[in-house]
Amino acid sequence: MRDNRIGYAFISPWLFGFLVFTAFPFIASIYLSFCRYDIISPPVWVGWANYEELLGNDPRFWKALWNTVSYACVALPLCIATAFALSLLLNLEVRGMSVYRTVFFLPYIIPTVATSVVFVWVLNPQIGLINGLLGKLGVHGPNWLNDTNWAMRSLILMSVWGVGGSVIIYLAGLKDIPISLYEAAVVDGAGAWQRTRHITFPMMTPVIFFNLIMGLIGAFQYFTQAFMMTNGGPEDSTLFYALYLFYRAWRYLDMGYASAMAWVLFVIVTVVTVIVFRTHSKWVHYGA
Amino acid sequence: MIIVLLNLLLAATFVLVFALPGPRRRAYPRRVAVRFWHMWTGEWKDVVDRIAQRFNESQEKYELIALSVPGATADSKFLLAVAGGDPPDCMAQWNQVIPAWADKGVLVPLDTLMSTDEWKDFQATAYPVALKIGSYKGHLYGVTTGLNIWACYYRPDHLRAAGLDPDRFPADLDGLWAWGEKLTRTDAEGNLTRLGFLPAWYQMFVPVFGGSFYDEQTGAVAVEQTGAVTINTPANLRALTWLADKRAELGYKKVVRFISSLNTGGFSTEWPFISGQYSITVDGQWRVEQLAKYAPDLEYRTAPIPPPSGGKAHAGWSNGNFMIIPTGARQVAGAWEFIKFWSGLEQPERAAEFYTWGGWLPLSDKIAKAPEYRKYLAKFPQFKTFLDVLPSENIQVSPPVPYQVFLMDMISRADDFAMRGTKTPGQALEDLEREVAQEVAKRKRSGQ
Repeated sequence: MRDNRIGYAFISPWLFGFLVFTAFPFIASIYLSFCRYDIISPPVWVGWANYEELLGNDPRFWKALWNTVSYACVALPLCIATAFALSLLLNLEVRGMSVYRTVFFLPYIIPTVATSVVFVWVLNPQIGLINGLLGKLGVHGPNWLNDTNWAMRSLILMSVWGVGGSVIIYLAGLKDIPISLYEAAVVDGAGAWQRTRHITFPMMTPVIFFNLIMGLIGAFQYFTQAFMMTNGGPEDSTLFYALYLFYRAWRYLDMGYASAMAWVLFVIVTVVTVIVFRTHSKWVHYGA
Repeated sequence: MIIVLLNLLLAATFVLVFALPGPRRRAYPRRVAVRFWHMWTGEWKDVVDRIAQRFNESQEKYELIALSVPGATADSKFLLAVAGGDPPDCMAQWNQVIPAWADKGVLVPLDTLMSTDEWKDFQATAYPVALKIGSYKGHLYGVTTGLNIWACYYRPDHLRAAGLDPDRFPADLDGLWAWGEKLTRTDAEGNLTRLGFLPAWYQMFVPVFGGSFYDEQTGAVAVEQTGAVTINTPANLRALTWLADKRAELGYKKVVRFISSLNTGGFSTEWPFISGQYSITVDGQWRVEQLAKYAPDLEYRTAPIPPPSGGKAHAGWSNGNFMIIPTGARQVAGAWEFIKFWSGLEQPERAAEFYTWGGWLPLSDKIAKAPEYRKYLAKFPQFKTFLDVLPSENIQVSPPVPYQVFLMDMISRADDFAMRGTKTPGQALEDLEREVAQEVAKRKRSGQ
């Protein structure tokens, strides 16, 4: 500790910020989840009331949880598959590849709010780009964001738009696979599909695992697009957990209840992550 | 070479940072600063800045420093500022916050800043709706600087083309619906291209049908203190049923698709009434000012929402901009000076001009009768409709309960369910009652 004093001094601004703005609120929210708290008045201890209320008497809590789990179950595999497939394509030795890689990465660096605003127009049922294209094919496109059956599907499809970040990670993983493995496979007479199936895919499982964990956490915290594009509607079909939590906290000033929601979410994410970690020894392969 | 370039870039950044102008200097540094937050941006912010400038010119003691805090974060910023002990001295807010914030003791009761005579005069002269919205449990927590009233806007050119007489606007709601049917247009595939009249917005039509979410006689609210819920009343159900029936006639999905396609990005110029996608629509009085600015050649007229059989005339729902003073404000006296200046509690003739700048409805008849306001009405005769409706006892406000935001959200949600045909109006109201009762019970259980 004494030897590292200078090091700690250098990171002290970050440490201070972490302790004050992350660690303290994190710990405080445990206490607040057992309180009635509206930001202004001092917290009043209510015991397990918030947890009993949200688990036992709040259908919108369950609706929001169901929506979020549904989204995670569909969007996450879809994004992983799309990003992996794209990274395989972008790993080919083709002229101008750096341009293609940039093009696929660009959406990732566009702020989510800007993307959401643009997609509201892209998905407009009458004058939107998608329905315009569908119309040319003779298909009467749905009312994407304003139809109870389509709003969630629209957000899931839109999630593919931002896979550029994962693609870069997959690409880095692909570059890391020893070329000798492919050479040996070619010598053994393995075709392209067999090389992908038996070398690329197993060697990429640590990267897939990383993206799965990060995607899982991200999916359970899904907020911005729903807030900007659908506001939870229509008919609560896109009321995500984080969105409902936000409304409870800041719109209804029910900070204690929202803290309880946050801790239930934390437990859910932790449990799911632990389950995924438990399975990883069965399908994740490290090293050659 | 790269290092040299980087250093040059760094040096240029420093020069730029120091060359940029710092925060605006105070125009009257010797005066007491009064910090004022408001939620306006764009063209509205310019109006607020002009009023602030006029206030500062009129003063010798205070300098008002106006800050635009727009968007959904304004409420949380304000509450955090109050909780942190450093709130603004006053703030302009939508009325919806008043019951909740007053209930939490965040707001200064403004009647305590008035003398007995001033308070009596205020109660006697302010429009009933201004008093209703600004009050909570017998105290005044907000003074309006602009009330909103909704009425029908209609386009005579569309009417004439459809063989209807613009001089004979329907006297009842069914007559208006019949006009709407004649004015609605569809394309070859049956998609709506123009809506003659779209009956929508449940909370606006509840008073028109003689219903209410709030019992003023008993002082009870939709959800009474006993926990009994009284939202699903015959009049309220009649209103939702009528709206849902008309929506069904137009086609639930067709209307949703049409509304989704409208260019309603929030800009004044994008109002579908201007582009001719609505022939008759219910909207607020501020559109008069906007139409003068952005569509000066458009011929249009206004009329109160006509009542249905057994309903109420000059009825509807109202909201507005209200000036509040947070507890913990350092310059309560200065803030109160500004509120009196802008709202017209002091020198209504002077304040009348401010109301015309934003196309706002005034606090009291004194202001409405001021020469500046009369001039405005002569210039924009369409505005008179709103002023005529304003004093009506049939104008209702959102129930003054601490959970008003939740209640109104749930009412909108029930409205949405009924308008999409997912639930029958009766089912939507039953569910609404149950959900609101649950929330009230939850609040009670946690000691609120």
